[in-house]
Amino acid sequence: MSFAELAAQLNAGTILPESIVIATLIVVIMVDLIVGRTSTRWTPYLAVAGLLASVVALFSQWDINNPVSFLGGFNGDALSVVFRGIIALSAAVTILMSISYIEQSGTSLGEFVGILLTATIGGMFLSGANELVMIFISLETLSISSYLLTGYTKRDPRSNEAALKYLLIGASSTAIFLYGVSLLYGLSGGETKLSAIAAGLAAGSGQSLALVIALVFAIAGIAFKISAVPFHQWTPDVYEGSPTPVVAFLSVGSKAAGFALAIRLMVTVFPLVSEQWHFIFTALAILSMVLGNVVALTQTSMKRLLAYSSIAQAGFVMLGLIASTEAGYSSMVFYMLVYLFMNLCGFICVILFSLRTGTDQISEYSGLYQKDPLLTLGLSISLLSLGGIPPLAGFFGKLYLFWAGWQAGLYLLVLLGLITSVVSIYYYIRVVKMMVVKEPQEMSDAVKNYPPISWNFSGMRALQVGLVVTLIATSLAGILSNPLFNLANGSVAKTEMLQSAVISSQVVEATTQVSVIK
Amino acid sequence: MLSALIWLPIIGAAIVAFLPGNISAKITRQISFAIIFAAFIWSLVIAIQFKPESSTQQFIESLPWIDSLGLTYSLGVDGLSLPLLVLNGLLTCIAIYSTDEKIIRPRFYYSLVLLLNAGVSGAFLAQDLLLFFLFYEIELVPLYFLIAIWGGARKNYAAIKFLLYTTVSGILLLAAFLGVVWFSGSTSFAYEPLRTHNLPLGTQLLLLGAILVAFGIKIPLVPLHTWLPDAHVEASTPISVLLAGVLLKLGTYGLLRFGLGLFPEAWQNLAPSLAIWAVVSVLYGAFTAIAQTDMKKMVAYSSIAHMGYILLASAAATPLSLLGCLYQMISHGLISALLFLVVGVVYKKAGTRDINLLCGLLNPERGLPIIGSLMIAGVMASAGIPGMIGFISEFLIFRGSFEAFPVETLLCMIGTGLTSVYFLLLVNRVFFGRLSEKVVDLPQVQWSERIPAAILAGIIILFGVVPSWLGRWTEASTTAMINPQPAIAKVIPAVSFSEAKLP
Repeated sequence: MSFAELAAQLNAGTILPESIVIATLIVVIMVDLIVGRTSTRWTPYLAVAGLLASVVALFSQWDINNPVSFLGGFNGDALSVVFRGIIALSAAVTILMSISYIEQSGTSLGEFVGILLTATIGGMFLSGANELVMIFISLETLSISSYLLTGYTKRDPRSNEAALKYLLIGASSTAIFLYGVSLLYGLSGGETKLSAIAAGLAAGSGQSLALVIALVFAIAGIAFKISAVPFHQWTPDVYEGSPTPVVAFLSVGSKAAGFALAIRLMVTVFPLVSEQWHFIFTALAILSMVLGNVVALTQTSMKRLLAYSSIAQAGFVMLGLIASTEAGYSSMVFYMLVYLFMNLCGFICVILFSLRTGTDQISEYSGLYQKDPLLTLGLSISLLSLGGIPPLAGFFGKLYLFWAGWQAGLYLLVLLGLITSVVSIYYYIRVVKMMVVKEPQEMSDAVKNYPPISWNFSGMRALQVGLVVTLIATSLAGILSNPLFNLANGSVAKTEMLQSAVISSQVVEATTQVSVIK
Repeated sequence: MLSALIWLPIIGAAIVAFLPGNISAKITRQISFAIIFAAFIWSLVIAIQFKPESSTQQFIESLPWIDSLGLTYSLGVDGLSLPLLVLNGLLTCIAIYSTDEKIIRPRFYYSLVLLLNAGVSGAFLAQDLLLFFLFYEIELVPLYFLIAIWGGARKNYAAIKFLLYTTVSGILLLAAFLGVVWFSGSTSFAYEPLRTHNLPLGTQLLLLGAILVAFGIKIPLVPLHTWLPDAHVEASTPISVLLAGVLLKLGTYGLLRFGLGLFPEAWQNLAPSLAIWAVVSVLYGAFTAIAQTDMKKMVAYSSIAHMGYILLASAAATPLSLLGCLYQMISHGLISALLFLVVGVVYKKAGTRDINLLCGLLNPERGLPIIGSLMIAGVMASAGIPGMIGFISEFLIFRGSFEAFPVETLLCMIGTGLTSVYFLLLVNRVFFGRLSEKVVDLPQVQWSERIPAAILAGIIILFGVVPSWLGRWTEASTTAMINPQPAIAKVIPAVSFSEAKLP
């Protein structure tokens, strides 16, 4: 094989965005080593700049002709571009919100940024991974960095507990996933590339018990990542104990990577058992929507509330996956895009509040509007958007999911989604009520002793920028959502694997209809 | 042109919300009043340019918004929505004018009221199912805050009850709209192309059922009404005015536009049961009103009863009864606003709304003679005394519905009689007799408190004397609602015939 041929087969240009992040990571670590603590004044901003540069590089890859690279190990198609963008953006915002938080906890910021960038690289590669080994390595990169991040504030016992819990459950779920994947390797006759596996499975015994077992195990691993019920047990505890910026990243970036993996794996490898995986995901979606929303009602800690809310939101997103139509996939992408803004906006507000008062209790938010109108506005808008109140971004996201689900004939699931979103409005508005409605005399102690608002501390400016940007995005992304819709629809339309999957499922439907008619 | 009615209050709300903090509540009120008055004048301008002889949508604005969802930003106005739009502007003006000068958190309050106005206007204007739903939901959160922050003792309970009921209503509506569009095979939510579509009857009945329950919560109809008395009792006077005067009309408007308009066949099937439902609602509201001792609660239950007439008339769906529907919407909006305003003044001055404690407020020296007179005017209008708009609307409804549902109409007429019973009870106890010792030293009533009520009373009498000034806007549209469906016209004689044979 000549060099030119090899270069063409490697097609290394597709991972330019990841390369930028890796370069940033190396610079950040080296600078931290050489210059020492003083460098933390600017390394986080360097990391943000690197991540944004990677997003720009992703933009340039939007219309790429030949997305397959590294001999089929990585597929940089439009779908992966969008998901990689979501992950990179969520990491950028996470860094903005973590600067003052990590400094206040008394741990080193440089290392934190380094680990977070590693997790980002893992997530980005996972979104495009097209081969079993690649999938597993990027999954592990993401997971192991996430374990490190959850335990990062090592003087806090709850953070340690969270890390241990996450590590134990995460490791076992990875093991299960790996077992499932190894079954696939065997069943397909020793293939590791996803498309080759699919071909191998189709040529082989077809639908067998072993294949179904492999499916179930693979789904177990994915469901752990997107924290779908009943694989959600770690979520509330980890969310409560970990540093809040990490939670923000886990709930958006890590989840987006999980959904990207879910789409790719299910669509490419498991068309043979499509009925089965639809059934499993339907069950997961129902359980997540019901349990997430109902348990969130009784929470008293803001971080636990957001944990259950993120479980419920994952349930809504699964609707799009179950629909398995073009509109279904693009509604997932669209929802992840708006979820990125609204959830991160909520987390920034929670961090800001805990920085100023040192608590996460919902009851302590009482009467906040008097002392901090911007924070109240930000948290109210993000929570109402998560609850799906028009005309905020979340409303359009949910509407698109429900519309796509309805078109695919998932009437009962959509009705369940509608009903549970009524429940969700109740607990979101409970927090808003605490902040906005309570009179001055009902003010909580934390709010009474609220420090005067100042943005001049180190890192607070970054937090403010993050808050304002995500707040504006959450408020306007709904009304001016056409670019986002185009992005979501375009990413699905350009992605070959989804196109062929949609077409083949339509063909199957058509043939069944024809046979029914006959 | 129509967009200004939505965007003027929204931009106004943003301006008011971000006014500097040192501006007094009084000036904030003046600024918001100026904004909403401009919107009201604009709605009058639209009314003047409106061509009443045409039954189609006018001033149509249509912009593509989100293609993936089939959502278009299309607005239009016809004879059904125009009077309601003007009513919305008028009552919001009155609500802002009659708000307490020294209200707490004025900037937040007025921007919410402006948002509410924009949401309601948008819902009346929307020519796209999804757009209607969007505006229908937009008013939810502002109204929740308006009750929960500036309400009475049990405001939290009332506000959350309102919120949950209305959210359920919204969800049902969304499900029904999704169903309508999907089952009819349409790719967009635009109203006009959908209307003529005919689905299998079973599907129609299912979807219509969801729409009926959704709007039944909003109107509200017994037994979905329980949020309304709580919300009214806890809300402050201006908010009660808006709630009764305008927001409930969203329900009846939706019933006509999306119930009767989209499902003529299924509507015809359900009409007899709807008429019975109307009777239940009317009689339950009226009887419960008799038992109340809180003036505001009495007015709230009378609201339920009066909204029931609209269901009766829309079930009958004759041209005359539909015209009566519109009259009743306007007249109920004006009359209940007047009653809530007057009750609000009494409460403010006397410190109580309890019928058993108040007595002889009409006393010319130390009582509230002018307010008392206005109350009597409102009560008379509500009870349907000729010469007021209440009489016209009820007469039209009963005259129009009698040919379709004679028995139900007669039962509803009993409800009108009961209206006189409970309101006479109220007037008799509260305003006549010797001034009670418990309420001496009433503070002076300002003219600013009388003017809004007096304006409303004037309009009520004006339209009572010259009803055609209101009817001319609407007649073409309501007639057109029936005409494309000759099926109903054929059924009506049959129904009245079979009813006539009953002993």
